[in-house]
Amino acid sequence: MIEVRNLSKHYGSHRAVNNISFTVNEGEIVGFLGPNGAGKTTTLRIVTCYMPATSGSVTIAGHDVLTESMQVRAVVGYLPESVPLYPEMRVREYLQFRGRLHGMDRANRAAAIDRVVERCWLRDVIDRPIGQLSKGYRQRVGLADSLLHNPKVLVLDEPTIGLDPAQIRATRSLIRELAQEHTVILSSHILPEVEATCQRLIIIHEGRLVASGTPDELRQRMTTESNLIAELKGPESDIGASVRKLAGVADVRTTLQDGWTRVSVAAQRDLREDIFRLAIEKHWPLRELRRDIATLEDFFVKVVTGTREQHDGRDEAAAER
Amino acid sequence: MRNVSAIMRRELLSLFCSPIAYIVIAGFLLITGVAVLWTGSFSPGKPASLRDVFFWTPWMLTVIVPAISMRAISEEYRSGTIESLMTAPVSELQLVLGKYFASLIFYVIMLAPTLVYVVLMEAFGNPDWGASLSSYLGLLLIGVMFTAFGLFASSLTSNQVVAWILGWVPLLLFACLAFFVVSLVQGWVRVVFQQVNVIGRFDEFSRGLVTTDGVVFFLATAALFLFLAVKVVESRRWR
Ligand SMILES: Nc1ncnc2c1ncn2[C@@H]1O[C@H](COP(=O)(O)OP(=O)(O)O)[C@@H](O)[C@H]1O
Ligand SMILES: [Mg+2]
Repeated sequence: MIEVRNLSKHYGSHRAVNNISFTVNEGEIVGFLGPNGAGKTTTLRIVTCYMPATSGSVTIAGHDVLTESMQVRAVVGYLPESVPLYPEMRVREYLQFRGRLHGMDRANRAAAIDRVVERCWLRDVIDRPIGQLSKGYRQRVGLADSLLHNPKVLVLDEPTIGLDPAQIRATRSLIRELAQEHTVILSSHILPEVEATCQRLIIIHEGRLVASGTPDELRQRMTTESNLIAELKGPESDIGASVRKLAGVADVRTTLQDGWTRVSVAAQRDLREDIFRLAIEKHWPLRELRRDIATLEDFFVKVVTGTREQHDGRDEAAAER
Repeated sequence: MRNVSAIMRRELLSLFCSPIAYIVIAGFLLITGVAVLWTGSFSPGKPASLRDVFFWTPWMLTVIVPAISMRAISEEYRSGTIESLMTAPVSELQLVLGKYFASLIFYVIMLAPTLVYVVLMEAFGNPDWGASLSSYLGLLLIGVMFTAFGLFASSLTSNQVVAWILGWVPLLLFACLAFFVVSLVQGWVRVVFQQVNVIGRFDEFSRGLVTTDGVVFFLATAALFLFLAVKVVESRRWR
């Protein structure tokens, strides 16, 4: 449904988006994750025809954003990050106006407004000026606007930013509902946000795509390099040496704590059984044995800080030359 | 066309929601009212004519018209609504035209009450209907041109006050001072100033002299500045 190929965007000499490619299939709900300044808004603005890319292409439902911009706009509903609205207009007036822009006649508009007002729980405020509404309501007006023309694709830029926890939960469940009828791409800089709502994550950092996959896949990738913690009583060097001999061990660190040896093992596979057998064999008492289940948060942090180190390394190398 | 009318209607709604609209209208009527008294247009013994009032009106309009159009596009930039507009199926041309017609309608609404003076004039004497009519045509054409220029100024900045200044300063300098400069210079400079001499051209209208040349001048300059405004709004995408 959305095809992004080798997309780059430069603001002057600053590369906000650097050669990003991804696809979003029909009916999918995809989370676009990255820290602030990663280039999420820039990418989404290109996807929604707000501005052209420096290079690369985007097609939505088979239409190119540059050459068939109007067709793209007709099938895309967009909620910009800042939720821009006209404070002096009433909710109904605003939705009427937006309906007209989408070429709906009076009857269609009435039906569409009815539908989105129901969907986004705006019934109570429909005749209030937008300027008087709370942040949560304004967010819903923006969402209602993006749903008005029943778009195939919904693009939501940080849809829950600035909302309180109850509103966040309500918005999340609304987005999940919407995902049943629309293809959704939503951005966030908060991992639990997208983990809770999205089937697939695309993680970008400093304008580059650094990882993508389902939350489970990403978690899997993380746990394959998981950490194992064990505390045994015995000679520290013996314990270290024996653990190192186990198959699939990458790195072992030992520390002595009130007579117990604490072993931290980075391994490719689950070593808990091996450690248990080792302890029995050597008659080392065992008081703790656990595997650190990596969270996606760890993964996110690792990916984001990891690329930064890589970058620094590259920059230094470049400087040396 | 539907989009132009949708944008125009929304703009009018916003214009009439803002205090500036009423300040502008009240200010304009106050100044013209004072001008009518000050020029003594209704004094006994003087010919029944509003020519003296009409002479000063374009000067006021250089300042007032950009105040009507200053918010039109700059406010969309400032509030970020340009983003939702330009991601809806709306072209830059439709946006500019919608804003333009809204400002122009507002201008006509502002001008309409001054017809009272014409009616009063009839009660006092025997006015030259032809000259009054052509004067109003002149005022309308000035509005057509100044509004286009004000809109162009509004497309350049996200700050309303800056848009207003960018609107009235060049209008005052080129369109009106040309009226004085034109008699001081010679050669091709004179030809140029004759062309942009809005006051001089309007003066022809208020004398009842409607020329194609005059009408074309106002319409063509308006078209030029609307075109430029469209280009400026489009250029936003490349910045
Ligand atoms: N209009 C702009 N002009 C110049 N730089 C910009 C502009 N918009 C964004 N940037 C820069 O591009 C980078 C990416 O920004 P953005 O796409 O807004 O990131 P995100 O939405 O992920 O926080 C940032 O470093 C930001 O400072
Ligand atoms: Mg952003």
